[in-house]
Amino acid sequence: MDEMVSRLVKELQAIVGEENATDDRAICTSYSRDQHWHFVPAKNPACVVRPANKEEVRKVLMLANTHKIPVIPYSTGINVRGLTIPVHDGSILLDLSRMNRILEINPEMKTATIEPGVTFGMLLEQTRKYKLRPAFPDAPLTVSVLVNYYLRGIYQTAATDGHDHTISYEMILPNGETLKTGSRALSRMPYFRYGVGPDFAGMFCAHPGTCGVVTELTAKLYRLYDNRKEYFIGFDDVATPTELIYNLMNDELAASIRLVDNQSWLKGIFGTFDYPYEELPKFVLCVLVEGVDGVFEAKDTLVRAYMKECGGEVLDLPAEFATTFEHESLGGAEKSCMVFGIKGRGNYHCIGLYGPLTLAAKYYEVHERTALEVGIPKDHVHFYLDPIYSFHGQLCYFELDVFYDGSDPGFGAKLRNYNERQFHKLLDLGIYGWFRPYAGIIEPTVERIGYLAEVWKKFLRVLDPNEIMNRGKLF
Amino acid sequence: MDMELEREEVLSAIHHCVKCKLCSIASFHPREEWLPLCPSGQFYGYQAFYAPGKMEIFRAILEGEITEPSEGLLNAVYACTVCGACYEKCKQITSVELGAPDLFEAMRHELASKGWILDVHKNIVEKIKETRNAYGEKYEYKTKSSDENADILYYIGCTARYRVPEIADAMLGIFDKIGIKYQVMDEEWCCGSVLIRTGQVEAAKELVAHNVEEIKRSGAKTIVFTCPGCLKTFEKNYPDMGVELVHSTQFLLRQRNMNLKKEDLKAAYHDPCHLGRDLGIYEEPRAVLSEVADIKVMKREKEQAWCCGSGGGVKSAFDDFALWSATERLKEAKEAGAEALVSACPFCKRNLKEAAEKEEIKVYDVVELVNRCLEG
Ligand SMILES: Cc1cc2nc3c(=O)[nH]c(=O)nc-3n(C[C@H](O)[C@H](O)[C@H](O)COP(=O)(O)OP(=O)(O)OC[C@H]3O[C@@H](n4cnc5c(N)ncnc54)[C@H](O)[C@@H]3O)c2cc1C
Ligand code: SF4
Ligand code: SF4
Repeated sequence: MDEMVSRLVKELQAIVGEENATDDRAICTSYSRDQHWHFVPAKNPACVVRPANKEEVRKVLMLANTHKIPVIPYSTGINVRGLTIPVHDGSILLDLSRMNRILEINPEMKTATIEPGVTFGMLLEQTRKYKLRPAFPDAPLTVSVLVNYYLRGIYQTAATDGHDHTISYEMILPNGETLKTGSRALSRMPYFRYGVGPDFAGMFCAHPGTCGVVTELTAKLYRLYDNRKEYFIGFDDVATPTELIYNLMNDELAASIRLVDNQSWLKGIFGTFDYPYEELPKFVLCVLVEGVDGVFEAKDTLVRAYMKECGGEVLDLPAEFATTFEHESLGGAEKSCMVFGIKGRGNYHCIGLYGPLTLAAKYYEVHERTALEVGIPKDHVHFYLDPIYSFHGQLCYFELDVFYDGSDPGFGAKLRNYNERQFHKLLDLGIYGWFRPYAGIIEPTVERIGYLAEVWKKFLRVLDPNEIMNRGKLF
Repeated sequence: MDMELEREEVLSAIHHCVKCKLCSIASFHPREEWLPLCPSGQFYGYQAFYAPGKMEIFRAILEGEITEPSEGLLNAVYACTVCGACYEKCKQITSVELGAPDLFEAMRHELASKGWILDVHKNIVEKIKETRNAYGEKYEYKTKSSDENADILYYIGCTARYRVPEIADAMLGIFDKIGIKYQVMDEEWCCGSVLIRTGQVEAAKELVAHNVEEIKRSGAKTIVFTCPGCLKTFEKNYPDMGVELVHSTQFLLRQRNMNLKKEDLKAAYHDPCHLGRDLGIYEEPRAVLSEVADIKVMKREKEQAWCCGSGGGVKSAFDDFALWSATERLKEAKEAGAEALVSACPFCKRNLKEAAEKEEIKVYDVVELVNRCLEG
């Protein structure tokens, strides 16, 4: 085995240069585990390779395909679901972080074309010069934009942005062929998603794993407005604010609308641990209004009118809280990661799902109940709700969170127990889908999707007959 | 650090790293600029060279998954300046309890106890045994106490004695110009910093014992350091000798009788890691520098200063990396409109100066400028 790996590394080094491929034990170990280690145990790749460009990626994939060696693409490795932790012995970890060029920012088209190593921070630094921004996940701004969009994330920082920010992309398949989606396949203008025939961009993305390696992607950019106003409204339960959320969404009034409990994400949204959060109402709705002159004032007036009759308490909070909320919402999340520090030594577990606003209170109820059943204390149970434009189906993202001491293996066991029960309960209760299918959650789900599972399996086989791509522990 | 006793604490801290990698960049808001913070990760690229990757390696060592040294292991562990920038960022977000520099020093100690250490670092032990200085120099930096019974003792340190004597000259010049009586140690041995930072804690014990003995015998009440590495070592690794320990800039700030003539010089101040992040001394050097030059502010300063690249044994083992890191800093100073980059540490000065040979910018220690501007 070791000899085989050494031979492989020599071949990889011939492609990417000596210093960019290694089977050094320690280097491989540094890729062996992520924050999800209570669920996906540590495993080393056999080697790590760091290509600089598409041609090197293509050669690496073709080599791996010839020898049927599993490949784990890795862009920034911050996916919080064990997605880049190898399943099979002898895997190649394909670290794409050297490919970090912003290939184009096109202010007229409101698009950016990027490589996998470009992070949200890197991209905003450039786009803001044109008063534009990407759609942000509530993930650290050190994550890869390309991968986040390719995995199809959730963009709760500005609900107005909606759900799909990918326009088109280029993907290299295991056989070395390049697949271009949307208008990219037809012309040098990669600015339209639905170029020819089916929505291929949609079909190849948002798998629990990957079908190939995306080497560049064109994404939508959104406007940065100068006019902004923030409101924080307190509620004692989850049900009461749903009417206000509905009104704000229905009339398309607010950019960011987030309902969080007073002990978790709020700390990141406000950027400090040091505040008597327990004195606030149990749930806080954070609202950000923005827009051009005239439209902004009109929206703001309507928002305030709705707030008056919403049954909540408009909170008077320090001015810097609003500033941090603004930064975190429209400039990329950084302090949001303070959720990791909540219990002083944090880690966080969440089940993220899509469902209708009408089920909000039910989701929270089942979250609390299941947590208590498996022995998770009530003060570890947290909640996050974020509606998504354009709100058809009253589409919302829900996050059932538990913040805990990551070093406590006992707590890890409780959470595995929680998951086993909760996945089924939520599927029974009714959801639209999971935020990103991943190992653990995907298995009980595919059991329920009928013939679609068969088609899905066959689809992956066509693209990757030797099964070398990181399947995300699926099939 | 006794790893047997503290293994659980170390593992617990490692498990609290959530791999968000926010420690690899300076605070993004409100400036909204992407500014790298971790020299080793930025230079080498593999995850192993960033704080979260190093922690994973340490976990694997403690849990018996890594049982022998490899080139990658030694590089990942020792090509880290232990600058602590990662921790300053991390603690804002995760409020973790054990700092990365402490963890990384514990990791080096663990490695060294297994004999997994770079030859160049091992050789330092031999050099010190032979010459009592970290550079193995046989000549002496010649100087004498102005008063054998003075309350002030200037602890010069190996780097200012043997590599950047202009700093020692300047400090002594200042004492003379402002009429302060001082002692220097005839038998000054290396403080042990380089050994402790490279995990060779045992080998440092003899040095500590000797210096403590000499200092007690001197009867000095205050020790002045131009080297923050020595100061940190005295503060953290030496027993309490009942003596006041101060950095040169703290000492200078107290002097009321300095007649300084400000130069027409635009200077950026570079925070040495040991002085700033380790000892929290940020304001005093700036206050002193502002008396002699116009300060230009760089993008990464204080807790989030970019390391010059020479600490933690990096200069001796990975000079190309050390010089790259220094060059990055010089570029940042120039971008801020500075004609000179001024530090308060002989390690920084040495590395920055060497890198500055290719950049059009001057490099000084703050005591050099003070000495130059003192109308004696
Ligand atoms: C505190 C926190 C909060 C978060 N909140 C959100 C949130 O609100 N919304 C959200 O969307 N996400 C959120 N995330 C998750 C995170 O943003 C995404 O998972 C992330 O963008 C993907 O991780 P990554 O970019 O590091 O990719 P990686 O970890 O590098 O890869 C993830 C997956 O994509 C595959 N992959 C990597 N590169 C490529 C490529 N070039 N081509 C094809 N496949 C590839 C990998 O094999 C793996 O399966 C959060 C994360 C954290 C830590
Ligand atoms: S910021 Fe802290 S928790 Fe995040 S990767 Fe760095 S060391 Fe780990
Ligand atoms: S101590 Fe400095 S060089 Fe080492 S990992 Fe942290 S930031 Fe990087």
